[in-house]
Amino acid sequence: MTNLAEAPSQSGQQRPGTVTSIRRLIAQTEIDVRLFGMLVALAVILLTFNVLTDGTFLRPTNMVTLSVQAAGIAIIATGMVLVIVSRNIDLSVGSLVGFVAMSYALLMTDWLPLLGLGPDFPFRWAIALAIGIAIGAGFGALQGFIIAYIGVPSFIVTLGGLLSIRGLVWYLSNGAAISGIDRNFQLLGGGAQGSIGGTLTWVAAIIGCIAIVALLVNGRRQRRRFDFPVRPMWAEVLLAGAGCVAVLGLAAFANANLWPTGLANRIAIEQGWGEAPEGGWQIATGLPIPILLVIGVGLVMTWLATRRRFGRYVYAYGGNPDAAELAGINTRLTILKTYVVMGILCSIAASISAARLNGATLDIGVSYELYVIAAAVIGGTSFSGGIGTISGAILGAFVMASLSYGLSYMGVISPGQNVAAGIVLIAAVGFDTYNRRRGS
Amino acid sequence: MSIRKLAALGLSAAFVLGACSDSGSSAAPSGAAAADCTVGVSWNNFQQPRWAAADKPNIQETVEAAGGKYIDADANLSNEQQLTDIDSLINQGANVLILLAQDTEAVLPGVQKAKDAGIPVISYDRLIEDTAALYITFDNVAVGEAEAKAILEKVPTGNYVLIKGDPGDPNASTFLPQGWDNAGLADKVASGDITILGPAEGTFTDGWKTETAQKNMEAIIDQANASGQKIDAILAENDSTALGVVAALTAKSYGFPPLSGQDGDPANLNNVALGKQYVDVWKNANELGKAAGQFAIDLCNGTAMSDLSLPDGFIDASVAPAAGPAVQDFTTPGGNVVKSLILQPTPITAENLDVVINAGWWATKDDICKGVTASDPGASACGL
Repeated sequence: MTNLAEAPSQSGQQRPGTVTSIRRLIAQTEIDVRLFGMLVALAVILLTFNVLTDGTFLRPTNMVTLSVQAAGIAIIATGMVLVIVSRNIDLSVGSLVGFVAMSYALLMTDWLPLLGLGPDFPFRWAIALAIGIAIGAGFGALQGFIIAYIGVPSFIVTLGGLLSIRGLVWYLSNGAAISGIDRNFQLLGGGAQGSIGGTLTWVAAIIGCIAIVALLVNGRRQRRRFDFPVRPMWAEVLLAGAGCVAVLGLAAFANANLWPTGLANRIAIEQGWGEAPEGGWQIATGLPIPILLVIGVGLVMTWLATRRRFGRYVYAYGGNPDAAELAGINTRLTILKTYVVMGILCSIAASISAARLNGATLDIGVSYELYVIAAAVIGGTSFSGGIGTISGAILGAFVMASLSYGLSYMGVISPGQNVAAGIVLIAAVGFDTYNRRRGS
Repeated sequence: MSIRKLAALGLSAAFVLGACSDSGSSAAPSGAAAADCTVGVSWNNFQQPRWAAADKPNIQETVEAAGGKYIDADANLSNEQQLTDIDSLINQGANVLILLAQDTEAVLPGVQKAKDAGIPVISYDRLIEDTAALYITFDNVAVGEAEAKAILEKVPTGNYVLIKGDPGDPNASTFLPQGWDNAGLADKVASGDITILGPAEGTFTDGWKTETAQKNMEAIIDQANASGQKIDAILAENDSTALGVVAALTAKSYGFPPLSGQDGDPANLNNVALGKQYVDVWKNANELGKAAGQFAIDLCNGTAMSDLSLPDGFIDASVAPAAGPAVQDFTTPGGNVVKSLILQPTPITAENLDVVINAGWWATKDDICKGVTASDPGASACGL
């Protein structure tokens, strides 16, 4: 996550006149203070739970469970940032997740076999995934078209979507739960077998580390080329070092999560590995696939938001719609695209939900829209438009998931969890608003 | 909190909108040629497939076989819509009303209207707190008892996890746990034979949601692993929560300790056949529908509510009320004494799966036996 956290952000503002010396040092590293503060807040939440649970909370297994539970919300929240930044809203995400999840389940149990693609057909999981993403993009495009070209307010269009798409989920299965999806597809949901293993996790971490260094070096070179001010060398080294330590630490942590003994013994027999070594099999699970999806989506979305014309247009429109229009930006197409992106992200999140459940129920995704909006807002996205970061939204999702997982780990019943989630939402935004006002 | 409320608001709006279109089609104008006996049924929720798939056709067939006329409406989880539906059914000339109440209190104005119009009311499956309503249901305490009995016989001592349903539903908080205790759970906890992992009163599941049960169960498994305890058995109150428990056990590769559920949903019966859920307490709603249809016809024909009795062999012996085929007095939690017919649930394990397969239940053999191989517990019931 940390490599994302340090990506250039939209909200990093510097006010040279008022900074103290420590502030100046921080400003020189160009770290987004807000985001850094959120990381600290997340750490405080996790550590508090750790103390309250006599030090058992921060075990790798727990953190992996928590992250997988956060994955769906985090993925959709990255898209919600773009939607809210461009002064719109999407209330239909939960229903769309439900619809696509049910489609995945039905594709693999009923529809694909009808087309002659039985359970043994190769790459069925990919075919189902592609169709699901097409469905998500289609619903997104339809809603985006009505919002951008017909001019119906997004609140209304997506409220309609929330109602009608959830209704359509019922028609797909007549309300019944559908189970039995492909074994390969199930890997998308994580679990011991849906993780990439110890070696690949190290490989991924080393690639990540190299990428951080390469990005910093490249950034410095580009800034030199255009005569932009560069960070002092110590700041560059600090960022590279901290980034690499974080990425490698994350890998080590994920690799400390071991396969459950029962599963390891069963696979050992199936695969003929022979006798278990002293102390049983010690197989590292490594990073679960849903986490990789979050990291991948986070990187792609950050790139879209900060490095592509589409992203710049979104922020330009959100900052000042009239100016963007006058500047010749095709604002309608830009808005439509944000909803297509949203639909695709919903489909990816739906694949995780369906895979985790080995099927779909009528209530998959219910009230996701609220958690997704909360994650984006906790992550610093402003309802007045133009402000918000992808990495902030992902962190916001993790804050919410940490609370809900931590409370249920401690045995706090669900109404109590809701009270806590609501208070944290208001507190996070209140704190942020206070800070911004004080800053200006 | 605010999040939940907003969600509830959004959802109830969803159901209201849905209801408009639904009731429009199913509660078609009755026309002039009303039959001698018109039975009106107000459903609360066709989103849950059981009602439309099992209960409705059985009531309808029974009523129509006796020469009556069947009309209905679905309120889509809305109390307001249900009151409108009741008005509409009365206006369409219903002589008897069968109500599946969305809420036992909120439905009372509708019941009052029926009473004012001299129309007898049957409260179907869910209690209505009114002495004039005949209560036809499965014994929910007995459901809990059957769940716990099956699991306790399988795992007499050890670590239990309790997964309960929505905290606002009296079935989840009162009746089912009372059944668990009747089967001996509380005594065994008191004697130390059984230890409850997680919160002692069990873990509630908002809205009986599968995803929520899954997340809660994952946290409980992590917690048990962290403290070095093994989960020996899981009591889940119903099938949607049991489905979430199975998903969590799968994600954690935990294996499948004996697990309970109720409803006879296809995915869960399939899990019974696959050995992932030990027992599914089945309320054979086909029989419940028949009994309600028959009593509706009898009431139409002028039989007094207290004289109602099912003909011999009219419903399957496996569900026959413990108190006999005649209606009995039943004291409600609200202190009212109502007439009642309370059917017995059937615990289904892999050993007697054939009972539900052969009963014409809406879960078909294909559903139940999907992916079952010769080494699975349900192999023989599935004919392998």
